[in-house]
Amino acid sequence: MIVAVAVVGPTNQPLYLSTFTDDESARLSTLVHCSLDAVEEKVAAGMRGVTTDVPDAYLGVLAVEEECKVYGFVTNTRTKLIVVVDDPLIKDDEMRAIFRRMHTAFADAVSNPFYVLGTPLVSPRFDASVRTIATSLGAAA
Amino acid sequence: MGKSRQCAESCVDYLALELVHHYRTQLQGPSLQAALDAVGERAGRQLAERCARDRAPLLEQLEAVKFICKEFWGEVFRKAVDNLRTNHRGTFVLRDTQFRWLVRLSQNQMPAQLGQPLPAPAAKADLAADFLLLPCALVRGALAQLGWDAAVTADAASLPQVDFTVVMRQQVQR
Repeated sequence: MIVAVAVVGPTNQPLYLSTFTDDESARLSTLVHCSLDAVEEKVAAGMRGVTTDVPDAYLGVLAVEEECKVYGFVTNTRTKLIVVVDDPLIKDDEMRAIFRRMHTAFADAVSNPFYVLGTPLVSPRFDASVRTIATSLGAAA
Repeated sequence: MGKSRQCAESCVDYLALELVHHYRTQLQGPSLQAALDAVGERAGRQLAERCARDRAPLLEQLEAVKFICKEFWGEVFRKAVDNLRTNHRGTFVLRDTQFRWLVRLSQNQMPAQLGQPLPAPAAKADLAADFLLLPCALVRGALAQLGWDAAVTADAASLPQVDFTVVMRQQVQR
């Protein structure tokens, strides 16, 4: 299941973090922010795809910590979407679909005229969509 | 953008016209430019986020500009750019031979029965300059959102053809 979802801006400013387990937010937020180094590395290496050599927004596994795996995705606008999963059996295609849905929700959220770009994203609607996406994979919401 | 949520093209035309008109009645000179720049850049950033959503990563500068010419232009101005030239050192000239937002401005032949005088050529150039602030800012905002800092200027010497000149600055930190 998905235990944490984070959005990090183009200049690595944290925009959004939501966790779906009990009292582990500090550990998970550290994990998310540590994995940003891996994102930088992959972006610098030309964002080569997981299976092919074609550049791919989906970065695959960034870090493994105990039972958790951190997955990353970079949009064309250099916003990073990070998802922490504690399910060892998840497939790349499933992760891709999750990121695609998250990206759609994010694009809708930043189109809100009252949202100032680059500031933390406080949106009940985005919260709700992230929750829906996370629960669709069996998170305890 | 979703097929289910569309609006008439004329609405967008009127909105763009009225936006410029609204600010022109309140502000002049640099403050008018700043106001339209802010509106355009903001809208451009949002549109870029949306248009570039389902696209493979744009890593090269030229790819980003091509994306602007094809997808972004198609989404915003309803057609692709007709001609793209570059000096391969960060300057791009995007030529649109039928720029949709200014097509009406170029048709200066009033019907004879209205008997109104034609707008003076000088006034028309000034008017075009004001109406081009918004498209320039849109393009600049979209490029900025894609990670490329650029200065965009437009030249409307021979309407309805408009040349947009994009000069890249160094890349924004990713």
